[in-house]
Amino acid sequence: MSMMRASQLGAAPPTAHLMRWVIVATLPGIGAMTFYFGLGIVSNVLLAALFALAAEALVLKFRRRPLPPALMDSSALLTGVLLGASLPPASPWWLIGTGVIAAVVVAKQLYGGLGHNPFNPAMVGYALLLVSFPTYMTLWSPPQPLIPENLWGKISGTLPGSALDALSGATPLDAFKHKGEAVLASEFWADRPLPEGTLNAWRNVALAWLAGGLLLIGKRIISWHIPVSMLVSMTVLATLFYASAPSHYASPFFHLVTGATLFGAFFIATDPVSAATSRRGKLIFGAGIGVLVMVIRTFGGYPDAVAFAVLLMNLCVPLLDIYTVPRPTGQPKSQQRTGQGESR
Amino acid sequence: MPDYNFPGGITPPDRKERSNQSPLRTATLPISVVLPLKQHSGSAALPVVNIGDTVRVGNLLAQRDGMVSANLHASVSGTVTHISDSTITIEADGQDQWQLLPPLDWRTAANEMLVERLDTCGLTGLGGAGFPTYIKAQVAKHHSIDTLVVNAAECEPYITADDLTLRYYANDVLEGAQLIAKLCGAEQIVVGIEDNKPQAIGALKAALPHYQQPTGITLKVIETRYPSGGERQLIKKLLNRDIPSGGLPGDIGALCHNPGTLLAALYAVRDGKPLVERIVTLTGDAINAPGNYWVRLGTPIKALLAHAGLETKHLHQVIVGGPMMGTPLTTLDAPVTKTTNCLIAATYEELPPAPSETPCIRCGACESVCPVQLLPQQLHWYARAATDDALEKLHLFDCIECDACSFVCPSHIPLVQDYRAAKQRIRLKRIETAKADHAKHRFEFRQARLAREEAEKQARRQARLAQKHQPSSNSPPSGSVTPTADLRSLRIAQTAAKAAVKKAEKVLARAAEQDPHQRHDDLETQLATAQENLKAADARLAEARAAAPKKETP
Repeated sequence: MSMMRASQLGAAPPTAHLMRWVIVATLPGIGAMTFYFGLGIVSNVLLAALFALAAEALVLKFRRRPLPPALMDSSALLTGVLLGASLPPASPWWLIGTGVIAAVVVAKQLYGGLGHNPFNPAMVGYALLLVSFPTYMTLWSPPQPLIPENLWGKISGTLPGSALDALSGATPLDAFKHKGEAVLASEFWADRPLPEGTLNAWRNVALAWLAGGLLLIGKRIISWHIPVSMLVSMTVLATLFYASAPSHYASPFFHLVTGATLFGAFFIATDPVSAATSRRGKLIFGAGIGVLVMVIRTFGGYPDAVAFAVLLMNLCVPLLDIYTVPRPTGQPKSQQRTGQGESR
Repeated sequence: MPDYNFPGGITPPDRKERSNQSPLRTATLPISVVLPLKQHSGSAALPVVNIGDTVRVGNLLAQRDGMVSANLHASVSGTVTHISDSTITIEADGQDQWQLLPPLDWRTAANEMLVERLDTCGLTGLGGAGFPTYIKAQVAKHHSIDTLVVNAAECEPYITADDLTLRYYANDVLEGAQLIAKLCGAEQIVVGIEDNKPQAIGALKAALPHYQQPTGITLKVIETRYPSGGERQLIKKLLNRDIPSGGLPGDIGALCHNPGTLLAALYAVRDGKPLVERIVTLTGDAINAPGNYWVRLGTPIKALLAHAGLETKHLHQVIVGGPMMGTPLTTLDAPVTKTTNCLIAATYEELPPAPSETPCIRCGACESVCPVQLLPQQLHWYARAATDDALEKLHLFDCIECDACSFVCPSHIPLVQDYRAAKQRIRLKRIETAKADHAKHRFEFRQARLAREEAEKQARRQARLAQKHQPSSNSPPSGSVTPTADLRSLRIAQTAAKAAVKKAEKVLARAAEQDPHQRHDDLETQLATAQENLKAADARLAEARAAAPKKETP
């Protein structure tokens, strides 16, 4: 007879189950991206996933930890998939590898592995790549066929730089950011600045991420607090900007369906390990990301800002956790930090 | 009345159908019983029988020691064969001869007599902690109670003891509720029951119209959601009142009792029957005849399970209580006690061991089910790091240990186990710091005892003297002035000592009810000191009266 603890009346679905559901929920988004931007997306995701598992295994080996439980929990796999999905199509293998090492080895394992990382691993990898290799990270091609030309050359990194430039185009956020102060928004759009179908493609991709995100909320894998507060705060701020000067600022709708807004809201900001824990903390966390994204997009040097916003809010999590402790049932309504606990 | 809600909660598989399908049965009389001296919260009882004594069912075996303690009675008739530090063993003679106390009518008897009866009969709460009922019955001394809550929620999976109790004895339970309501002065009685017990609800509905006097009773059927049977959760649900942190139901005018306790209280008063048997749910896939049984206290669990058809080869573990809050048994030699409401003889397939633990990913599932709105994952973090200050700031001591958080944890972390360990560690630390105080209180107790003995000696001498002097003459004229002044100050001292005893009792009762699983030695010592002081004051007063018999009678 076992003496230790009362056994399980029914074990809750394990961590791996949650991770796998998140991976499943990325499929619509990845599918839509592949549809519009070609197999370069699939290669990104597959390479990143593969590298992530390899990097995780390697570090576990160094740390003398058993491999199977950590690899089976699929957390490294998920980090790889998320990082892969945020890179420009057909990124070269070394770029992906560098990002994965930053994500899995530095951001996750060096801090103690699953559950101990203060920063979102995928976004650490992404941010490192963005500041270190800006040219490669902004090479978003316009929508293209499923098998684009030079796919292999790009992935293997053998294509010369000049050829790369020719293949790439601007993302809508890029284009709008660099339209110049003098150009009014109406003039900018009238100019048809983007290749045919670009805006459509980005919008549909965003909607696909939204579908995946709703699936996660429906399956109760993630709670609604962070995505909703992030999207609401972005919408409110974007509306304020837009209402104050429609000729200068992009519409709220534009902000919601371009860049990594919806992907970030449902798949990045909701990483439980690096997010705030209490419900109130989550609302503030999400809202903070929304505000930072809008501020950086509008006034900062980068066209998109989800990665930086998430990382900055990760920094605030310990503080949020301390100041958003809910009042337990039966505690006095006024304030809890009065040393009530010591009275017994 | 509208239905209110407590936060969080879960709906685990309830598996009650395994034991609620068969009728209530009586377990065969055990050949021998082993009765622990401590089946209740507080201090162990002190044996008052000797080896070789013949006892009948209901004979007192051990007397309560201190205020928070309970009497213990023989549960079979036979011979006392063994008395150890912690148990009394009786070999049954098979005659089952009873010795009952004279019946009382609770409608007419004085409250003091009823309380004394509950005390004499060794009544404790039959739900969980085993808190002495007579102390709870005196709650009106320091709290004004408006509502008596009958906790028939029975939210733990597997357990059906209250369910069957109500099906068979709804009338008696309601009458017992009336009895307790009279003692605590409640204006209304509310019965709270989960909607998964239709037959018990039916029985209650049939009985209700006949038991509306003197206190009105309402029945509230609530949704089935664990842990609605927690005192705080049920009171929130029924009355929409929050018990303050560290407080008791009495603080918000409520008193909570479980149906089994009410039934036993009625039997103690109406039939003069001490607490010697109770209803126990025997369930689990490893027994052939699951169901509810009337079981004599002290019956060895092994014999009881064998009686219910235990299949040893399928047995994986036996759990006392429910699968959420119960404890796995380390040995089947343990006996049934006053707090044993359920025994689950589980097979491996039925309750497999928990999967091995993985790191916390802070997913927050625990937080969303916590009925107290704590942050279990934060507590987990600090409990593992032994950061006690942070734990207290996060209100660790508000945790009711319902285990809902562990139940939903995807990382299968034994959260509540960690919290219990952390609580224990913090308590030990507090005891350590309170040690100096305790030593001081023990010294004071010794002083008080010596003073009392001295005073009593004086009083006896004075009494003898007075007797000698009485026939000869009146008291000497010189003593006629001082004793009056003396008498008055002595009377004042006696009143003060009485008040001190009351106060010490109140403090101890409160502490014991808040923390029923802990020992409260220091408070018991303080109470004993106050009692010594009172006795000394009584003796001095008696002495003074004996010295000046004429001047008395104010």
